[in-house]
Amino acid sequence: MNAGGPSGRRLAAALPVVTIVTAVVVGVAVGVEVSLLVVAAGALAGVIALLWASVQALTGESPITLEEAMTLAAPSAEEEQKRSVLRALKDLEFERSVGKISEDDYAELSARYRGEAKRLMQLLDEGTQPERERVEKALRERLAKPQSVPANGTKEPPDDKEPPAASEHVASTPAASEALPPETGSSSPSSAESEDAP
Amino acid sequence: MWQSLPEFGTGVLYAILVTAAYTFAVGLAAGRGQPRLLRSARLGAYATAGLTLFAIALLAYAFMTHDFRIRYVAHYSDRSMPKLYLFTALWGGQDGSLLWWLFLLSGYTTACVAWLGGRYRQLQPYVIATLMAIFGFFVVLMLFAANPFEATIAGARADGEGLNPLLQNYWMIIHPPSLYTGFVGCSVPFAFCIAALASGRLDNEWIVAVRKWMLFAFMFLSIGNALGMAWAYEELGWGGYWAWDPVENAACLPWFSAAAYVHSTMIQERRNMLKVWNVVLICITFFLTIFGTFLTRAGIISSVHAFAQSDIGKYFVGFMGVVAAVSAGLIVWRLPKLRGKSEIEAVASREAMFVINNWALLGAATFILVATMFPKLSELWHDKVTVGPPFYNRWLAPIGLTIFALMGLAPLFGWRKTSPDALKKAFILPLSAFFGTYVLHIAIGRSLGYPAFVERDVFYPGTVGIVLQKIGSALPGLVVATAAFNVTVVLQEFGRGIAARRRSAEKRNERESIPLALLRLVDKNRRRYGGYIVHLGICAMFIGFVGGAWGIDRETAMMPGQSYKLGRFELRYEGSRMCPGNPRCSPEEQADVTKRMIFADLTLLENGAVLGKLSPAKFIYHRQPDAPTTEVAMRRSLREDVYTTVATIDPQSKRATFQFHLNAFVSWIWVGVLVLVGGALISLWPELSFREVGAWSYLRATAGAGAGVATSVMLAIWLCVSPTSAFAAGIRTRAPAVIDDAKRPFPIAPLGAAVVGLGFGAVVALGRRRSR
Repeated sequence: MNAGGPSGRRLAAALPVVTIVTAVVVGVAVGVEVSLLVVAAGALAGVIALLWASVQALTGESPITLEEAMTLAAPSAEEEQKRSVLRALKDLEFERSVGKISEDDYAELSARYRGEAKRLMQLLDEGTQPERERVEKALRERLAKPQSVPANGTKEPPDDKEPPAASEHVASTPAASEALPPETGSSSPSSAESEDAP
Repeated sequence: MWQSLPEFGTGVLYAILVTAAYTFAVGLAAGRGQPRLLRSARLGAYATAGLTLFAIALLAYAFMTHDFRIRYVAHYSDRSMPKLYLFTALWGGQDGSLLWWLFLLSGYTTACVAWLGGRYRQLQPYVIATLMAIFGFFVVLMLFAANPFEATIAGARADGEGLNPLLQNYWMIIHPPSLYTGFVGCSVPFAFCIAALASGRLDNEWIVAVRKWMLFAFMFLSIGNALGMAWAYEELGWGGYWAWDPVENAACLPWFSAAAYVHSTMIQERRNMLKVWNVVLICITFFLTIFGTFLTRAGIISSVHAFAQSDIGKYFVGFMGVVAAVSAGLIVWRLPKLRGKSEIEAVASREAMFVINNWALLGAATFILVATMFPKLSELWHDKVTVGPPFYNRWLAPIGLTIFALMGLAPLFGWRKTSPDALKKAFILPLSAFFGTYVLHIAIGRSLGYPAFVERDVFYPGTVGIVLQKIGSALPGLVVATAAFNVTVVLQEFGRGIAARRRSAEKRNERESIPLALLRLVDKNRRRYGGYIVHLGICAMFIGFVGGAWGIDRETAMMPGQSYKLGRFELRYEGSRMCPGNPRCSPEEQADVTKRMIFADLTLLENGAVLGKLSPAKFIYHRQPDAPTTEVAMRRSLREDVYTTVATIDPQSKRATFQFHLNAFVSWIWVGVLVLVGGALISLWPELSFREVGAWSYLRATAGAGAGVATSVMLAIWLCVSPTSAFAAGIRTRAPAVIDDAKRPFPIAPLGAAVVGLGFGAVVALGRRRSR
């Protein structure tokens, strides 16, 4: 069983639900003592499945998913600083709207933050330039290449209609992770204020 | 298996240790950036948490089936205990409470790993490894010093010893889990902090991740401490709620450092400053949770709340040493990266106020810590010197007042610097409220029975003593005026925010009503306005604290038929009765065979009108006849609590000695805590973008936040307004009372509202998650 695959995920979602429902039913019908045993059994089953999946992942028997591959590249320090500056700008706007800072101070601070944000964005653009050029080059080559025609005469299906199974898993090779530009691999929420912990 | 449950349970503990060690190793290896290993570590963390659930279910099963082969079960339960208390016995003793701690940590670990998902990839391995290291420590502690599955040496007994009667009440059902939830919750910020230091990703994003986890822990620390106060108030029977007991002190220490952190983190987010300070605060908070646990369990300080003396202290000392060494080492290593480039530009800025506030909070924590340890420390160079509540109350009065004043001052300043004009505009109303209230209090306070100045004794000879005495005497008036200042600041902040929103809407040719503007203001700035609501709660709590200055404490002996004047009330002693056996006992009391109950029935009157009956009592449990418990009877109201206990009752003459307390404004503490929780919930509620998830989710989120607040308010009103007796069985079952219980407002409506509110909040949360 592949823990990262659909069946593994279904099992991971179903086991707690089945355990809790069974425990509640048994608790009402038989007694709380047996209900606790059901909880213990469910926990043990889950532990066995999780450890099995963990060892599988450790030994490389289960490939990483596309979702995981997409989050491999952590945001750079500049990206994080940019978010911080944007948050500060947002806060500055609010402070101004409620009259906590004078217009002069606002103008000075706003210019400073905007300058900093601009500098960081330029740095980020420069940082992603090589990847962008590589992607553009690959795209140009792809477009320039004549479309292959199979022996039976039908055209190769376009990329966006490829069956999901083909794109579901990405091999966890260094090349696969290197090919992802930092922006797409950004692991943080898009909104600067968006968090949902805990 | 069932013939050897103790061995099997111990085996499960070993399995947890092995799984945690495996996950720790894989987590560290994943720190080198291998996604395969990270997934393995994540699954390992889930498995470790699952095994802990398995262990706690086994121990609960042992309690439910009275498996007295297990020493812990035999020691903390007996066959007569109701199932609910059998369950609470899980954390009633030392060994079980350690497993309960681990269980809560497993819950946090599961939630944290699930929440992390694809986020903070570089931090995740170290977060998991740190959490597993904490797991490892607690499992080692249990396996080698406090095993909850240890077998009874002489074999299974016919019956157990039973849980301490003081622990068999509803407060103890919820107090320890809440406090532990707060304590254990500090592990997650600590794990993030260690991860950031180890990985070198010390930018501001990780601090955003940590903020809400710390706020969550802070909220539960507040709830846990408040429930502890409520338990002490109702169960210990000495008339108060906080006695500066070492264990109480240990529980409140992390609260101060967590409060300091939730403020100083804003400075790092906004100004990229105080990075070292913030990591130090997180490490200190975690350290204090472990230190508090050590203090409660190692037996080095005597306390009514402490667990039995044991030899687990050396394990805690070792762990605290490791925590301090690793934290300090990593901070020193990363010092070049932690140094900020920004500086505080002006004293008239919010960051300056926050820094002063931080120092005051840390100062209070340090004072309490040193005073708590002082009896032990004094033994090193002198005879043992103990410090009592008057010492704490005198010294902490000025510190507390400073913190309280700074709480109101900080929101009036803007970031970086505030212009004199802006300051003038911001201060006019709050200062007017401060001075207006102070003058009014001086003018009419005494006639109402709440004078602004209450004369205090000189505690120390010399100048320091006189200064402290003066501050103490002026404290009631100053606290009330500062509360008025704080409330005005909060109202002004809301007012300015609403006005700004309405102006902004007008510019767009839209119209926003005041309620709509308020709703949107809070929704768009939950953290800020949730924080202001927390401040309101703290104001209410301060009013409750200062109410002690106006309290009346009396002790008297009375014969049946005699009356005693207590403030504006009168208490008439009607006589005593022993249950079961007396015909005036209720059917429940007659049926209770676990104890003898000796009640002293009192009638409470005000201006000749009967308000109700109070029946303080002494309970003598058959299993512990040498330790009778004092049962409090009281009548609560927002203005004051009439609090009664009985010390002795002569069986022949029926002469009884009573303690009567008129505790002013105590209920405001509980109201304040509930408002604080409501504010914290608003701050914690996840941000939602209208564009991202649509109007329906927007409405649900608003309703969810509203449900949380409504629940808190309803519970507060129910708790404080309804004139209830702390000892529920007492007043309800008395012989003819003037206030008929049938006519007393039963708290079904607020309780129902609370249940509906909580349920609605849960549905909202689920719905929101689904919508994502």
